[in-house]
Amino acid sequence: MRTNKTCALVGNLHRYNELMPLIKRRPLATLPFDSKYRLIDFNLSNIANANIKSLFMVFNEGETQSVFDHVGGGKEWNLDGIQNRFFIHTYQDFIRKEDNNSSYYDVVIDYLRKSKSEYVVYMGSKILCNIDLKTLLHIHQVRNCDMTVVYKKISAEKTNGQDILLTLDNDHTIKEKTFAKDVTDQEEVNLCADIYIIKTDLLIDILQQKQAAGVLGNVESFLREHISSETNAYEYTGYLNNIFDTLSYYRANMDMLDTPKFNSLLYSSQKVYTKMKNEVPTYYSETSIVNNSQFATGCMIKGRVERSLLGRGITIEEGAEVFDSLLFPSNVVKPSATVRCAILDKNVVVDEEVRIEGTPENPVVVEKGTHVTQDIIGG
Amino acid sequence: MKTETVAMILAGGQGTRLGKLTKNMAKPAVPFGGRYRIIDFTLSNCANSGIKNVGVVTQYQPLELNAHIGNGASWGLDGIDSGATILQPYSSSEGSKWFEGTAHAIYQNMDYIDQLDPQYVLILSGDHIYKMDYEAMLEKHKENQASLSVAVIEVPYKEASRFGIMNTDDNDRIIEFEEKPKNPKSNLASMGIYIFNWGRLRSILRTSYSKDSSMSDFGKHVIPAYLDSGENVIAYRFEGYWKDVGTIESLWEANMEFLDPEMELDIRDKGWRVYSKNHISPPHFITEMGSAKHSLISDGCYIAGDVKHSVLSDDVQVKDGANVSDSVIMSGATIGKNVVVKRAIIGENAIIGDNAEIDGTEEIEVLGYNEVMGVTLDED
Repeated sequence: MRTNKTCALVGNLHRYNELMPLIKRRPLATLPFDSKYRLIDFNLSNIANANIKSLFMVFNEGETQSVFDHVGGGKEWNLDGIQNRFFIHTYQDFIRKEDNNSSYYDVVIDYLRKSKSEYVVYMGSKILCNIDLKTLLHIHQVRNCDMTVVYKKISAEKTNGQDILLTLDNDHTIKEKTFAKDVTDQEEVNLCADIYIIKTDLLIDILQQKQAAGVLGNVESFLREHISSETNAYEYTGYLNNIFDTLSYYRANMDMLDTPKFNSLLYSSQKVYTKMKNEVPTYYSETSIVNNSQFATGCMIKGRVERSLLGRGITIEEGAEVFDSLLFPSNVVKPSATVRCAILDKNVVVDEEVRIEGTPENPVVVEKGTHVTQDIIGG
Repeated sequence: MKTETVAMILAGGQGTRLGKLTKNMAKPAVPFGGRYRIIDFTLSNCANSGIKNVGVVTQYQPLELNAHIGNGASWGLDGIDSGATILQPYSSSEGSKWFEGTAHAIYQNMDYIDQLDPQYVLILSGDHIYKMDYEAMLEKHKENQASLSVAVIEVPYKEASRFGIMNTDDNDRIIEFEEKPKNPKSNLASMGIYIFNWGRLRSILRTSYSKDSSMSDFGKHVIPAYLDSGENVIAYRFEGYWKDVGTIESLWEANMEFLDPEMELDIRDKGWRVYSKNHISPPHFITEMGSAKHSLISDGCYIAGDVKHSVLSDDVQVKDGANVSDSVIMSGATIGKNVVVKRAIIGENAIIGDNAEIDGTEEIEVLGYNEVMGVTLDED
């Protein structure tokens, strides 16, 4: 692909209270996933794999530290070459300026104009997938529509009320769009993945019209609005997760213990890149008992771990037991402690003999940096 | 800022004693400890000691090594005033610049050093496993107003005759050097780490090569010449883990020692990280049937068999029923179903077919890179 044929916008404005406290100080985009990734790695890798060299990201103010810490200079995703560039903007700053929100429009329009690219790819932050954007662009061009939107056939229970569902005439013509909350009678639905491809000029037009009308909004809401019978629908058939609350997040992670799902997301033809850490390989002691689990590097495993996903640099002491749980980096589980059906955010220490127990339908979430000295029984 | 010290890593050894493992790869590029290569330890020492310019002198099978080092970015050696430079022999108008020995290799790369115009040159070898602060050695060198400092380590007396032995006076001034002495007078072995005042070394090498070309090796020629001419040559004592991994036996042994979380090298010390080129692989997966005990396991591995007292690099597959013990498995290797691997080193991307057995109880077994052993069934 010519280097500036396509540019990319990544929106990160979704906030779901159901994900608290995991998103207290970080956007959904930098939530850890499958031991060593963050959700945003999938979007960034999709962009890198399509050889897209210009990227504009929007984040909510107050969530940027974790973004800068993770993305850094963008090296790992090939965003730091001589032709490659990326921009990070904060949303509240746009709203605060009391000029009808025009600064938001100005900055985005300015970016799009300067990118000199023919097409824009837009991706939201809550959908996790490994999509080939080159193919998406190709199909968009062949079908010659003004916009293409990606959808995925998914069971209705995996959607959130605010999601957009599409009704199709044939496999790529859209008949109707509805909010998931208004659809109750279907088992399988076509979830709009909030991945769009559109001509840059057309997106600039849309933004200018909204600006002239003084509408408060963002690119994603305008693209959703723009979905019509003129829009081409593209079915994504690979593995996809829709993450909007603690349970959907927990289950998406646990899916990675299912080999076909894990292979579909992480061993497809496209690699997924993440921040490099130079950790030592994980050490398993003579006393370790491990089963059906995944581990990042830098861990020290002396106890029992079953059906769980462990991030980098975790210590599981002798006699400690971890079942059906997600452990973020740098956790310490001390001797004879038990963790079951829980999500432990970064730097959590679980004291000796302490029990943390949730249920598969209601996993316990322990906030970042907590020193757990007493039992937490949830569910 | 002016460059004070340039490090030259002699990474050209043919490493014939490593057999299959160095057939297509320079010794310093041989994988070690899961996700490292031997030279990572020396390169990380340079990076952590504040050495900004590193010349890596190669001669045999440099492809893998060059690919690994690249521009030095993995060690942070790619800044505005720093860099890692691969130095290879080449033909010039004056003839071939093939290296005939350690000192000759430095002489042949004089242009590289001159261009940086340093005060000191730190000579290192690329095939030892250790962590050392070269800055501390440099400070001692300056303090002693030495012309040459040689890092030494105390080795057991019974092994001393395998090394270059430095005999010193009470002030650690080297008064005699004996290469592999039958009856060693001391147990201070040279680690092959030297700090030279560049101006002095430069003129000695130039004089020699304009006359009789006698100075081809540091141990055999340069150090004795320094001692004969009464230069101030100082021994710098190093304490800590240091291992030459030049043979199959020692490579295997060093990997086994590396396994031990309590080992002296203290690989998990965040204050002195060992860097390596990062590869992209998902986390490793231990299945319902798999187990790992007393082992180091890297990214991308898939473990459905039993792994015991072993080091596994990236992307190794251990299929169900397989039993791996006391072994080093390099990246991308596949261990088939019900395979038994004992006391072995399995090369990168080697494939062991189902039901095969590799038993190195007598002598460590080695399977080369990409080597295929036994019948491999196309499945999964």
